[in-house]
Amino acid sequence: MSLHLKGKICILALISIVGVTFLGSKAQDSLIVSAIPDQNPEKLNRLYNLLTNELENKLNVPVRYVPVTNYASAVSAFRTRSLDLVWFGGLTGVQARLQRPGAKVIAQRDIDAKFHSVFIANTSTGIKPFSNQSGLKAIRGKRFTFGSQSSTSGRLMPQFFLQRAGVKVSDFSGGNAGFSGSHDATIALVQSGSYEVGALNEQVWSTRVKSGNIDLSKVQVIWRSPAYADYHWLAQPDIDNRFGKGFTTKLQRTLLNLSRKSKKQSEILDLFGANRFIKATSSQYTDIEKIGRKLGKIK
Amino acid sequence: MTNILCLKDVSVFNKRGPRLKDISLTIKQGERIALIGPSGAGKSTLLSIANGSLKADKGDVTWFDVPVRKLTQRQRTGIGTLWQDLRLVEELTVGQNVNAGALGRHNLIWSLLNLVGQVETDKCMACIKAAGLEEHLINISVKNLSGGQRQRVALARLLRQNAELLLADEPLSSLDPALSKEILLLLLSKTIKNESIIVPKTIVMTLHTPELLIYFDRFIGLKNGILVLDMSPKQLQDKHLNWLYS
Amino acid sequence: MKLKAASGLVALLPSLALIPVLIGILKGLHIGGLPVLVNFLSSSLHPSLNATVLQSSWKGLQVTVYIAAISWLLSIFLGLILAIGSSKIIFQTIGLPNWLRLLIRMTLSFPRAIHELIWGLILLQLIGLSPWIAIIAIIIPYSSLTARVIGDQIDALDIKPLEALKVCGAKPLSALITTIIPKIIPVITSYGGYRFECALRGATLLGVFGLGGIGTELQLSFQSLKFEEMWTSLWMLAGLMFIVELLVNYFHKINIGSEQTEFNKKLRIDYLIAIITITFLCYQFISGDNYSNISWHPIQLPSRLELIQAANELDIIKLISNTLILTFLSAGIAIGTPPLWMMIWPHHSYLRIQSLIWGFFRLIPPPLSALILLLSTNPNIYVAALALGAHNMGVMGRLLKEGIEQNGNSTAIAFESLGAKPSQTWLYGCLNPNAPSYLAYSAYRTDVLIRQTAVLGLVGGTGLGWQLLESISSFNWAEIAVLIIIYAIITLTGESITDHLRIYWDSKNKLDFTS
Repeated sequence: MSLHLKGKICILALISIVGVTFLGSKAQDSLIVSAIPDQNPEKLNRLYNLLTNELENKLNVPVRYVPVTNYASAVSAFRTRSLDLVWFGGLTGVQARLQRPGAKVIAQRDIDAKFHSVFIANTSTGIKPFSNQSGLKAIRGKRFTFGSQSSTSGRLMPQFFLQRAGVKVSDFSGGNAGFSGSHDATIALVQSGSYEVGALNEQVWSTRVKSGNIDLSKVQVIWRSPAYADYHWLAQPDIDNRFGKGFTTKLQRTLLNLSRKSKKQSEILDLFGANRFIKATSSQYTDIEKIGRKLGKIK
Repeated sequence: MTNILCLKDVSVFNKRGPRLKDISLTIKQGERIALIGPSGAGKSTLLSIANGSLKADKGDVTWFDVPVRKLTQRQRTGIGTLWQDLRLVEELTVGQNVNAGALGRHNLIWSLLNLVGQVETDKCMACIKAAGLEEHLINISVKNLSGGQRQRVALARLLRQNAELLLADEPLSSLDPALSKEILLLLLSKTIKNESIIVPKTIVMTLHTPELLIYFDRFIGLKNGILVLDMSPKQLQDKHLNWLYS
Repeated sequence: MKLKAASGLVALLPSLALIPVLIGILKGLHIGGLPVLVNFLSSSLHPSLNATVLQSSWKGLQVTVYIAAISWLLSIFLGLILAIGSSKIIFQTIGLPNWLRLLIRMTLSFPRAIHELIWGLILLQLIGLSPWIAIIAIIIPYSSLTARVIGDQIDALDIKPLEALKVCGAKPLSALITTIIPKIIPVITSYGGYRFECALRGATLLGVFGLGGIGTELQLSFQSLKFEEMWTSLWMLAGLMFIVELLVNYFHKINIGSEQTEFNKKLRIDYLIAIITITFLCYQFISGDNYSNISWHPIQLPSRLELIQAANELDIIKLISNTLILTFLSAGIAIGTPPLWMMIWPHHSYLRIQSLIWGFFRLIPPPLSALILLLSTNPNIYVAALALGAHNMGVMGRLLKEGIEQNGNSTAIAFESLGAKPSQTWLYGCLNPNAPSYLAYSAYRTDVLIRQTAVLGLVGGTGLGWQLLESISSFNWAEIAVLIIIYAIITLTGESITDHLRIYWDSKNKLDFTS
């Protein structure tokens, strides 16, 4: 093949990558929905039209989903009004409310009012499960990992409980805790033994156990944390002005009405790992805010 | 005959001392001057002073009574220079290089067009042919040419400039005897037949080959930056040359 | 000859960094992560072909190309203007004071001292979620980098032809155009092609941190350890990179490779039109998106007191020293390994395998490869160094191979005929003549590496990158500001040191050519 022909073929290939399928039309004011990348974010990223279609049908406004892969980006995007309705974690939700005063807590899952973290350990460490918080002292000097830096269940609350038990992050091997980046990565890294102990969202743990993805002879739960309030839907304060009076209430009702009876709605609930959504208020998260301030995650 | 270039008490200094010392010189239209002297005598410096690329530390240089450093672009086209190191744009084709000689008469657009393709091909081609280059070379990059061919490109660029005065700095030094004679004859316009080509009528050329001196009508000798010799062919004798190069 | 032998060995010297890194990694090596690792590797053979996955990855790929193409074209354009605007020749030709030039140069070095990822994360705070963030984040450092490289090239040009034209009456601007453009265009098209590849990698990396495109796809699948889905994206990205590499090679060949081609023919108008069309299509897409509107959402700037307090709270010395260690180790791996491998296995078929390996390492964003490595070894700074080093080793390896191919193998043949062993032949015949230019480029790479340590925050668990991501997640603006200032200082210091090294090796390079 001649040099020039080769070059031309390459250019054509590039054009076809760029050119195939076009979004084109400028959308009018639509409700922008997003979620922090917490559990099955890749699924949410692909199946979001289940959710947006449902919301569009019930609310009669255009709805768009925008993926975000980074907790802090979701908060910033909410502050800059790039996102209207976001599925936040406990900490990120508080951060977002502080940066965008007046934002409304719309709903949480049935499990979120009393959510738990689990500490897991590689069985080779010999750490036995314990029920008392002070048992956490046993993991001093071990290689320890959190999940994402802004995760409530994978970082904030575990660090809080560690602190209450008198364990500092500098007590861990290497003088610091690691950040695996996600709950699933925490499981994989503790199971492999790269990290000896880790902390994560209890719901992710039990789902993975159920689906048989975890080798329980290598990794086990050593402690289940006390309950705290976690994930919730947060909406911009001005959506009533943009989409009509009572829109917030309508939106809340739509989410609360999602039920297992409908097949489509059931799939949406699965995406969020929920049985159903329930009402929530910002006052449920005052503890999280206090803890966040104490650990320096909120200024 | 009119005086075209005048040097008056010109001195140039560098860190080690004077390069040229109190040179006064008048060049008249139509003169063919050979600039001779041992290497390091200041011949190249004198030419740089004459074309205005170097500023004299003392003294005046005028071109038709205008200080040479204050010439307008248009006036500058009157002085053509053949550099010892040729100073061609290696990446450009022969044609583009030759046309670059005419930049002084044209605007920015013309110079852009020259880069993209050929402009005024006929004029360009006439110069190329006059310089003894084969026609098909017009579209070849200069960097792909041999030493002798490049010399001819520089010559063609000069012809394209339509200069009145030619300052040539050892244009023949890297050529074999037969070729240097041929180029010299070209420069002295003895072999150019084409009427559209304007060859500089006045020439100042540095030289070291004594055999070629017969083609010049005035000799200027430099030694250690001082003008030591200025005579006609009749006056010049071997003893002068021997003394100059000793 | 003595000189030459030295530069060849110097190119091998950085590979000494492999010793501490490999010891560090082997010490923590365990087989606990083997099943996951096997799963990761075997998934490459059966990537997910599920329609939704394919569709979503394809869209991600497109977005990455859009971001890369627009930011690339704009950064080349801007970089060229800045380069010309800050070059010695132009200042002298037009007659502007030199201090103004130095001032412009100094201002220009700041944008490139900060990695595009950090620009992206900051811009996200200021202008909200928009595809333009990634584009602007890439344009800022890239145009400054392009300005530096092309500016250096312009200043290195021989100005004699320019003088000659000026003396014979050409206007300054015409003379500049005629003498400089023919020399600069090949540099731009050859270097520009390479920049496009960088822009693609940059856009992918920004995606890994949440700014959209194929990187986002990769990161999302990876976070959930869905390797089959991750490989769908990886193979698509590989395909794209392959096409781009062919193109880059093509432009390289018509510009630098073949001396015979005339300048006119290098100025391929048809390709220029094609590239502008592609960019225009990308622009259409991005601006058709209702996320394109940019609005300004300023943050409250930290006060001086807050800055001082933040600086006191941070363990700056430890952060800096960790960052420097990470830079040195990864630079050692990136620079020293390619010549080492090629020396050990100089045969042609091995070289082909090696280019595949270089390609693989360039493909995977370092944060992902670090996490894969982490599955079978204990967490420490060496993992981060290896991941970062391997990624850049991919870049350096290709560069060395290209350099050797370009210079021809006449010296190698001479040594072969002496009866030297293949590895000896390679060392003396291939590496030595190329070592100076390779090392000069290595200096540039080391600058890049200092900046890149920012992307490996999470894995190292130490260093400025880690602290920066932590501060961003806490929205602690005072800390963020302090960290960015430290980054800028380190990078700029590093840049001035590597500048000297580069000039040293460049001069040696010229020496080698002339002798």
